[in-house]
Amino acid sequence: MQRRTLIKAAVAAAFTPALAACGGSDEKAAAGSQLASWDWLVSQADWMDNEIKLFQAAHGGNTIRKTTQVTDKYPDLFALAARSGTAPDVFQIARTPTIQEQVSNGWLLPLDKWATESWKSKFGPGWFGEGGNTFGGKTYSAPFNGAGSNLQLYCHHGLFKQAGLVNGDGTPQLPKTWDDVTRAAEAITSKGGGKAFGLGFGNSQGGALSWLTEIFTRGAGSVGGTNNLDYRVGKWTYSTDRNYADFINLLLDWKRRGFIFPTAMSASDEQARAFFAQGKFGMIVNGVWSQAAWKESKFTDYSLVTLPSPTATPQGYFYYGQGSSARMFGISAKTANPDAAFAWLDWLYSKDAGQRWVKAGLGLSAYAENNDPSLVDFAPFAQYVATSTTNLPGPDPILRNPELAKVKVAAVKPDINDVLAGLYTGQLKDIAGALSELDGRLNKAQEDGVAAAAKAGAKVSMTDYVFADWDPTKPYVVKPS
Amino acid sequence: MNVRRESLAGRMWTARWSYAYALPMLALLLVFIVYPIAASLGYTLYKWNGIGDPTDFVGLDNFRRVIDDSIFWGALKHTFLYVAIVVPVQLFLALGLALVLNQKKLKFASFYRTVFFLPVVTSAAVIGVVIQLLFSNFGDVINNILRDLHVTHGYIDWLGDPRFAMGIIIVIGIWHTLGYNLVYFLAGLQTIPEDLYEAAKLDGAGRFASFRYITVPMLRSVGIVIVLLALVGSFQVFDMVQVLTNGGPYFATEVVNTYIYHLAFGGTGDVDPDVGLASAASFFYGILLIALSVVQVVVLRSLARRRAAK
Repeated sequence: MQRRTLIKAAVAAAFTPALAACGGSDEKAAAGSQLASWDWLVSQADWMDNEIKLFQAAHGGNTIRKTTQVTDKYPDLFALAARSGTAPDVFQIARTPTIQEQVSNGWLLPLDKWATESWKSKFGPGWFGEGGNTFGGKTYSAPFNGAGSNLQLYCHHGLFKQAGLVNGDGTPQLPKTWDDVTRAAEAITSKGGGKAFGLGFGNSQGGALSWLTEIFTRGAGSVGGTNNLDYRVGKWTYSTDRNYADFINLLLDWKRRGFIFPTAMSASDEQARAFFAQGKFGMIVNGVWSQAAWKESKFTDYSLVTLPSPTATPQGYFYYGQGSSARMFGISAKTANPDAAFAWLDWLYSKDAGQRWVKAGLGLSAYAENNDPSLVDFAPFAQYVATSTTNLPGPDPILRNPELAKVKVAAVKPDINDVLAGLYTGQLKDIAGALSELDGRLNKAQEDGVAAAAKAGAKVSMTDYVFADWDPTKPYVVKPS
Repeated sequence: MNVRRESLAGRMWTARWSYAYALPMLALLLVFIVYPIAASLGYTLYKWNGIGDPTDFVGLDNFRRVIDDSIFWGALKHTFLYVAIVVPVQLFLALGLALVLNQKKLKFASFYRTVFFLPVVTSAAVIGVVIQLLFSNFGDVINNILRDLHVTHGYIDWLGDPRFAMGIIIVIGIWHTLGYNLVYFLAGLQTIPEDLYEAAKLDGAGRFASFRYITVPMLRSVGIVIVLLALVGSFQVFDMVQVLTNGGPYFATEVVNTYIYHLAFGGTGDVDPDVGLASAASFFYGILLIALSVVQVVVLRSLARRRAAK
């Protein structure tokens, strides 16, 4: 008997902290209607906790019981909760299964009772559409994040100054064009004396060369970057758009001239970021997420630019389809307090909450007026906020024809990451041939996917990917077909 | 006078306790090796990402895709290159070291054995991480040392350059598993009766003659087992490649097991896991190895027959 009690106590002691750690649950004493709220905003937890505090103060009687799940386990945990009828009242919408499937499973509550046309209009045009956050004419979510530049070219102030790359006022002379980058890389490498190089990256996970190619070719006007078809023609255009070959030649020239950090191909991205902070190279292409790590290691002496182009002004931009950016939170179809749940959702989607999100340096807001660099104290993040003008609404085939959600395009191997690695290391010699072969396989995979979906009854065709009226220099609002 | 041969059943009955002792191991083999192999044979006929039940029947198309895939044949080439270098070099070094460490007069023999066996007990993943740190993630440390010693002129991306990456993996592979073969050879050497060497010495045989006419023949049976284990181990090369290079750059170090792993669990980029294709690749690789083993057995038997006929 005593031993059994002891075992029970031991098991309880072992599991209680483990469960608490797993869930990150933030239990709060209930008073009035209590709402369960789930998210995977681990590094944004302070912002969320503050919003809960403010909401509870403004809505006396309503309390939020927040649970922050581990990011990669969230889809499984949420699906489990939804299937067992214990889904939280308000939640971050899981990335898998697709939102279409979640709606058809009856997991999400339509918001139309509260999300009126006037409520929707505060987000600006083009944010609500069939296939993005609206299904069968009913709205299930709303846009939360704004879009900044997907990738940035970070410049190390110390190395720029050491290489004499400074303006009249002593600030670093940041590169705007491909030639500027070449000149900066050359100056930093020659002043570095074998200890510092112009550019660096960490490609051991296989994506860094794609990032480099993406940011430089987009700036040159290649609207597909390295991850998308060119929606002007509805095809992959690595071989027919000369910017790709031009940039690869430039990259190989940098390598030949010794401007690139020698172990870039085998270093990891995390290590490359550390090397950059240590001043081993002057420029690196990375995302805004790297700023947090640098801040943590007390490295703040850098600036960023984006979309370096062959000419002084970018010929192309980053584009977001309203489909995936147009949602963040949803309400459970099983909630016992739909009005209170919407009040909490509405709070999260408020302009003020969005402004606090930006101020905290967490990202951009769906409200354009919130994306004001002057609101932000930390200079590099303010520079990132300023790049919100470089990310425009672009074509979104699924918004125009939701049937395209049924098209499954098989990934190809070797992919662009592999081909770029092959060209960089010299294993592939023929740039045009390698890109042409890659295009062929990608376009065939796309056509096969469409053909298979059409055969299964979906109303789709390759022309669904063509947006002939798209001007890449202007925001594009998708019109339903 | 004719000796009546006992029937197979009779011989089995005579050795029944030997079979009884082997039963638990046989049961484990059936549950954990034979059954999964048989079960995965069915998956080869489906396009399946490993979640839920396979439904997308593709017949033998997965096998066609593997055979048509140049990456697979490249991976096979790298695997054979690894085996062809690692096995002979490793066995030669292990035998040499075993002969040295088997000397009665050698001081600190146990210490040396421990030193050479230490890499074996270290996990390949840990070794991979450390080597990755040394050659790449510490940046220019190794390169600076080599440059100061005038071994190299410029910087070399040891793990990111296709000219060196496979070589590094092979060298690490030899170092990592050398200890196993060293211990096996030592065990084999210690089974050779000392009086054979003493008799040879009295007959005037030198060290080389003793090695050639006593050590080598006496080690032959254990040597075959060691070679077999070394071959099997080398054909299973996976973890070191996965940790050090992930098969890159541009498949320069992809071996068959990393190829299968990348198919089954999705590799770099957006490649979807395809357990069906991975199963087909596994089976095809298995069939190739069995075919090679059959050829090897046939060749060895014919050589033995010729030797016996002389």
